[in-house]
Amino acid sequence: MKMRKLLFGLAGALALAAPSIAATSTPELFALKVGRAETATGESIEHAVILIENGKIVTIGQDLEIERGIPVIDRSDLVVTPGFVNCYSRAGLSSSGASGTQPSVQASTELYPRQELFGDLLKAGVTTLGLYPPGNGIPGQAVAISTAGTTLEDMILKEGAYLKILMASNSSSRKMLDGAFEKVEKYNETVEKAREKWEKSVEDWDKEHKQRKKDEKDGKELKPEDPKPGDFVAPEPDAVAGPFIKVLDGELPVLFSIRKAGDYLHLLKGIGEREFNWSLRVPLRNDIDLFKVADQIGEKELRVVMEPRLTLMEWTMRERNIPDELTRAGAHVAFIPNGDDLDNMKKWRLHVGHLVKRGMDADAALAAMTLEPARELGLDDRLGSLEVGKDANLLFFDGDPFQPSTKLVSVMSGGNFVGDEELR
Amino acid sequence: MRTMNQRFTKAALGAVAILSAALPASAFFGDDESEQDPDVYLAIVGGDIYTGTGEILRGATMLSKNGKIDEIGYDLYLPEGTEEVDAHGLRVYPGLVALKATSRLTQGTFAPGLKLHEFVPEVDHPDICGDCGKSFEEIVPSAVDPGEYSTEHLATDGFKSDFDESFDPFSGYMVMALGNGITTVQQSSTAVKLKRGEVDGVSLSEKTMTSMSWSGSNPSGKADLREKFRDAARYQDELRRWEEVVKKDKEAKEPSKKGIDSRVLAILQGATLAKFSSNDRDDLLGIARLAQKYHFRPVIEGCVEGWCVADELGRASAYAIINPRVRRDRQENLTHDNGSSIENAAILTRAGVQVAITPGNTSIDMGGISGRDLLSLPLEAGFAIRGGLDERTALEGITVIPARLLGIDHRVGSLEIGKDCDALITDGDLLHYQTFVQYTVVEGKLVYDKQEEIFYKNIRPRPEPDVAATDPGEAPAEGASEEAAASEETPEVEAPSEDAVEEVVEVEDETVED
Repeated sequence: MKMRKLLFGLAGALALAAPSIAATSTPELFALKVGRAETATGESIEHAVILIENGKIVTIGQDLEIERGIPVIDRSDLVVTPGFVNCYSRAGLSSSGASGTQPSVQASTELYPRQELFGDLLKAGVTTLGLYPPGNGIPGQAVAISTAGTTLEDMILKEGAYLKILMASNSSSRKMLDGAFEKVEKYNETVEKAREKWEKSVEDWDKEHKQRKKDEKDGKELKPEDPKPGDFVAPEPDAVAGPFIKVLDGELPVLFSIRKAGDYLHLLKGIGEREFNWSLRVPLRNDIDLFKVADQIGEKELRVVMEPRLTLMEWTMRERNIPDELTRAGAHVAFIPNGDDLDNMKKWRLHVGHLVKRGMDADAALAAMTLEPARELGLDDRLGSLEVGKDANLLFFDGDPFQPSTKLVSVMSGGNFVGDEELR
Repeated sequence: MRTMNQRFTKAALGAVAILSAALPASAFFGDDESEQDPDVYLAIVGGDIYTGTGEILRGATMLSKNGKIDEIGYDLYLPEGTEEVDAHGLRVYPGLVALKATSRLTQGTFAPGLKLHEFVPEVDHPDICGDCGKSFEEIVPSAVDPGEYSTEHLATDGFKSDFDESFDPFSGYMVMALGNGITTVQQSSTAVKLKRGEVDGVSLSEKTMTSMSWSGSNPSGKADLREKFRDAARYQDELRRWEEVVKKDKEAKEPSKKGIDSRVLAILQGATLAKFSSNDRDDLLGIARLAQKYHFRPVIEGCVEGWCVADELGRASAYAIINPRVRRDRQENLTHDNGSSIENAAILTRAGVQVAITPGNTSIDMGGISGRDLLSLPLEAGFAIRGGLDERTALEGITVIPARLLGIDHRVGSLEIGKDCDALITDGDLLHYQTFVQYTVVEGKLVYDKQEEIFYKNIRPRPEPDVAATDPGEAPAEGASEEAAASEETPEVEAPSEDAVEEVVEVEDETVED
């Protein structure tokens, strides 16, 4: 009994010291044989062979021949998918938030690594998280993290993944957005003025310099010369203009959070002629009327971040599958779990499966948990699908991932199995 | 094309002048028409058109071009691509204008008043509700942290200026209102067009009425107001005199505005209407005399005992906003007339007062006061008819008169060429209790079809159109004129003259040549 307690204590101490899950390391280069690979790009490969080197996928294909000498991990009974990406979460962060226009705030400053939760999320298949800053108005920029990391450096994949802006149908939201872009205009004017001033100072100096040389020739008495003006340095933009300059340059995409169909039209009006990358976040609540603008959103091929939920039409019990309607209209849905707790993250694929049951395309549904959220985080060049050159973040299922009876057998992050995985 | 349209207009029954005014100036020059958006046409075909100005055109057609009424008449040429709404056997009325309507209409179920706490979680205000009788302004400034939900604009121009940004074009309540014929509503002091699926150009006017207080229970308030009017009137006189003097003597000093109530001055200058909420005979008399003395037109909301002093109110050219069903017991100890009368609207109208009609409750509510809320606006007008008001004026009381109070009668309130094409198509007399709105058109777009919306689709499904009875181009049917004769005031039925018909035919020939 005592021994047992001791053991538990030890385990606890260990957990404190290294809360994230121990990984079972794999060889530097190895081949993975699986029953089927769901690539999340709309393709599914039967009898897939995936060659993984230094945690990246180097080759993927059907029944590929494996060179002799390369270790093989044979999982021919399993279905493999990319690791799940939750691009809009507050998991592991404190919930209090400010409000107002604070586009420079980084969610990464709240991040506290080595939390047990991140390890649990990884075990549940969520290999990548996008953490957004809390609050109303323009609360700041999201950070993309890997749940497998144990230090901040390991965890943070990308800072400034997107700028979150909450847009409601009212004049204050409109003023907030217009005001932020006006600051960029004002900043540009300041830069222009500063440049003119600098150019003039260079000109003056040149003139003086010539005069000086002339004077020197004439043998006049000379005063010490001013130093030549250096290169032009633009004034620093302020905390609002800075991020919005990035937005207009296409470096920082915007995630607009709206709550109803009408907000979308007001948002379009607010954006006006300005061109930048943006997508939508819409909390799916019971009687949301978003389907009324599904065609308009689809036409623009926007990405929409939402929960996998069936909703009811206003005042009725008629079901709508809004994610499906949006997908069919041409929009790109990125799913997020119904909540940030572990339970919802574990049930995430089952909730998505429910929408698949109600008509949503299974490939689109899988992409909505992997590739689309990776795109939202700007990480689609390195994760989100099973393609050559991408991180080997893999989930192994013993069947169709959307089937409720299917189990998540194991998780691979960066080529290494998570937890005590037996290598076969 | 343009000349054709103009000639056409002569053939139709409307005034050419109005049409010309409504046409975009560029149209007359005929340049670059191909680069502009194509014109959008909608025709309401074959219905009995009640224009709201007294005329009834049986089996006529109304053509809307880009949201404005382009033509009303018979045998109209419909341009290619015109969307047609079949109104044979049905009636066409102007869209109704509802005063003091609930914010639910334009804010939907997600009204700031309803769901403010979602934006501001700290706000847990028990009084925040759509229809608690309090206005948004009354609740919001106290409830909301300015940092959270900027209230700056509330101080300067009130909630109404928010309507262009806060309008919910998908509100279910709005669809209900459209289904009951309401196309324009007053929200706080803004007039808002119920445009479905669009957020552009929804607010039509702002601040056309200024609330004033005149109450027998507050004699000093009455004295104050009287003084304000006196000072403002004196200032105006001085200003006028100075304007004359300054032409000769440039040094003349401009009268000082100091101490002059700007609201009262605006009323005297006609920039806004003074609105009083009064029911008592004595108060009404006081307001009427104040208005007569200072030459402004008062708007009196309530006006329950207006019938007792109708002559005075008529002399003051007052407007009244009344609810015909309101009841007030007669006080037997008073020797003069008092209490409510069902004849109120009729008596006031006869005295020259313009009467706008509102229901007892201006919200939309599924339970409780059904039959007394905004969804039965025509029924309220029906009660005024029961008290002796003629049908035409009763219709005006829910269309053009409220539009006038909101300063938008040049755009809505009646079916006239050049005005917004806001029309209802009903299966019977609008003021009859059994009548259903079958279609609603707002700015030339079909926004409500009874058979397409969940609300009334299964209640008395739409009657089959009786094409034989009202063939377009035929003279008005026999039955129709009988019906007109039966109504209390027989409006003039203007049938198209022979010449007009000929001209139309001519025009059509021209088109063929094109």
